[in-house]
Amino acid sequence: MSIFSLARTGSVLRRARGGASASALERTGRHRGPRDGEWRWALLFLAPTLIGLAVLSAGPIIATLGLSLTSWDMLEPPTFVGIDNYTNLLGDARFLTALRNTFFYTAVSVPLGLILALGLAMAVNQRIRGISWIRTMYFLPLVTSSTAIAIVWLWMYSPTGLFNNLGSVFGMSPQRWIANPTLALPSIIVMSTWQGLPANVIIFLAGLQGIPSEYYDAVSVDGAGRFARFRYVTVPLLTPSIFFTGILALIGAFQVFDQIYVMANPGKPGGATITLVYFIYETGFRNFHMGLASAASWILFLIVAVFTIIYFRTQNRWVHYQ
Amino acid sequence: MFRVSRVKRAMSLAAIATVFAAGCGSTAVTPSPSPTPVLTAPATGASQVAAASPTLNPAASCGHYTGPAATISYAIWGDTTELANQQKIVDAFMSMNPTIKVNVTVADWDTYWDKLQTSLAGGNAPDVFLMDGPLYPDYQTRNQLLDLTPLITRDGFDTSQLANLGVQDFTASDGHLYGLPRDLSTIALFYNKKMFDAAGISYPDATWNWDKLAQVAGQLTKQVNGQTQWGFYTETTDMENYWSELVWQAGGDIVGADKKTLLIDSDKAAQGIQFLQDLIYKDKVMAQPTPGGTGDLFENGQAAMEADGSWLVPSHIAAGIDFGVAPLPSGPAGQATSVNPSGVVVYKGTKSPDAAWEFVKCYTGPQMQQMVANLKASMPVNKDVLANVYAKSFDGAQTFADALAYAHLKPSFRGYNEFTTALQDELDSNVFNDNSKTAKAALDEVAPQLTKLLGQ
Repeated sequence: MSIFSLARTGSVLRRARGGASASALERTGRHRGPRDGEWRWALLFLAPTLIGLAVLSAGPIIATLGLSLTSWDMLEPPTFVGIDNYTNLLGDARFLTALRNTFFYTAVSVPLGLILALGLAMAVNQRIRGISWIRTMYFLPLVTSSTAIAIVWLWMYSPTGLFNNLGSVFGMSPQRWIANPTLALPSIIVMSTWQGLPANVIIFLAGLQGIPSEYYDAVSVDGAGRFARFRYVTVPLLTPSIFFTGILALIGAFQVFDQIYVMANPGKPGGATITLVYFIYETGFRNFHMGLASAASWILFLIVAVFTIIYFRTQNRWVHYQ
Repeated sequence: MFRVSRVKRAMSLAAIATVFAAGCGSTAVTPSPSPTPVLTAPATGASQVAAASPTLNPAASCGHYTGPAATISYAIWGDTTELANQQKIVDAFMSMNPTIKVNVTVADWDTYWDKLQTSLAGGNAPDVFLMDGPLYPDYQTRNQLLDLTPLITRDGFDTSQLANLGVQDFTASDGHLYGLPRDLSTIALFYNKKMFDAAGISYPDATWNWDKLAQVAGQLTKQVNGQTQWGFYTETTDMENYWSELVWQAGGDIVGADKKTLLIDSDKAAQGIQFLQDLIYKDKVMAQPTPGGTGDLFENGQAAMEADGSWLVPSHIAAGIDFGVAPLPSGPAGQATSVNPSGVVVYKGTKSPDAAWEFVKCYTGPQMQQMVANLKASMPVNKDVLANVYAKSFDGAQTFADALAYAHLKPSFRGYNEFTTALQDELDSNVFNDNSKTAKAALDEVAPQLTKLLGQ
């Protein structure tokens, strides 16, 4: 019996999704959504968020679409310019740099972050003494402010900082981690990956703990080794968690701002690290081109939308919900 | 949000709580309990100031406000220390003008501009707000600021009592003032007396030129107790700290008087910037700059000289550095330095223009300017206070004050930020943080983009 056929059978597997929602699902049997009459309550409880979204997000989002067709500095009345902003952006070297950096950042940081988080989650998913302390430690970056983190990392990356001191022990010549335009973005990726780990680790850890030990027992009886157990039990049963963290990481990476803002701003390594959201901020709020910034926002939105749709389309091929 | 190197004016009045507490005790303005609040005479040097600038029209001086009672808001950038400093100045104002209440709000440099733009767009801006010289045209030309010239005329306010360059910077193209300068910063050469004494080298003075600077900086660059002592330090991330001065000293300029002609791509301008690159990579008398900053190596006792701004005085004092101040070494085309005024401007949509104007007027008057001088963090814009209080307030203050005589205004035009970002990015990447290009090659590279930006 293959592990996949096994996986498709048991309703216990729903628990793999972890947490309260799984048990709630089991109580409601085959029903996937709220029962009749529950909608009213659902809407009531969702109302604060929905109203907030409609007023504070949907309105401005639609407004930026209109503004992206204008030249507007926020202080004088906008003038209609058609699609000029969009065509200008495609010939704007700084925008294209930001676009390239954003893709590079996403392509590297998302897989790197997920793989490291999975490894770490498995490492702390052990029954050893003091494990809750270790887990707490990994959780810390999540509750530390980006600014504080960036200051510490700036020091570690500084010419006389931790990394160069460590490197010198192994005979490595000192690197200019942030100052060197080639190294700057990778250095920031390393920092923000570290910063983003705990959130993913928590989700993976919950997923791992939702995998019933019977499956491991079963494949062990079949003679599966460590790798086989990981490959045929852990990974398939964790795909919902991987899918979920993947989409959050993807969208988050396209929108990266904090780390760039803090690390790149004081004595920026010359545009080498600007990303799309940084470009939007700078263009709109520093350089008085709010129309252009709105157009850039819509290009970013379309990019994120396309990637999200593609990502969801692949879901059926590799995500195992039951 | 955090931002190290924009510090400058963000820090200009800030980061100096201790110094303020120590330095201001002797000369603070004390609100008087008497019905007509008066100023206590300052203990040092400034008694003649109070007597200075006699005026026939009482409306031209502070404390004769007859307009409607009002509450106005005053927004500044800075930190909590700066807020405390400004609050004291505002308290002094309110004791002189009991019918006006002023609420001070502070934000860090970046947040300040975000908030300002959104509040202007929303028609809800602070009545009075702080304005950076280079960014003033962006707001003035967009019709956001109250024209103060009619009020200046009405009250017979004499702008010639303020530093000329400061007034010039806030004079719009129509000849009107849409704000008044509040304080100034100039750039000079700090030197560490102990390091010079230890090496038996005489202190820098007005006779110094570039060659002398490079030569002495070379002598002072050495290993001391296993640590590098650098001969020289400056910040490369903003033209104001040093490189615009070098461009002027070489006989070049950044933009033309029309603010439409690009001049930074000349050989002379490149020569100035090349001198700074050479200090780092050829003479090796200055540590290679790094984004995020190395910290102020002069202030940390790791560099013997620093070309930098008057705003650093309080923190240099607080750090316990025994320093002197000399004029910047002169270049092939002579002496030059940079001056950058901060101003106070009034929102065009204010409901209390009279009270707001009263505050602006008082801020440039002798009483409040004396409090600015006592902070030592920037130079008072009031000529009398500058000459009689500030210039005598610490060893070297006179050098900063005298520098006004040969100072150029920091460039100021609509679109300054976008222009300087493009220029500085190129220089940071290829000339200062790395020497992948010569100054000339980098300037040639970025010139077309800069020309396009000036044409917008």
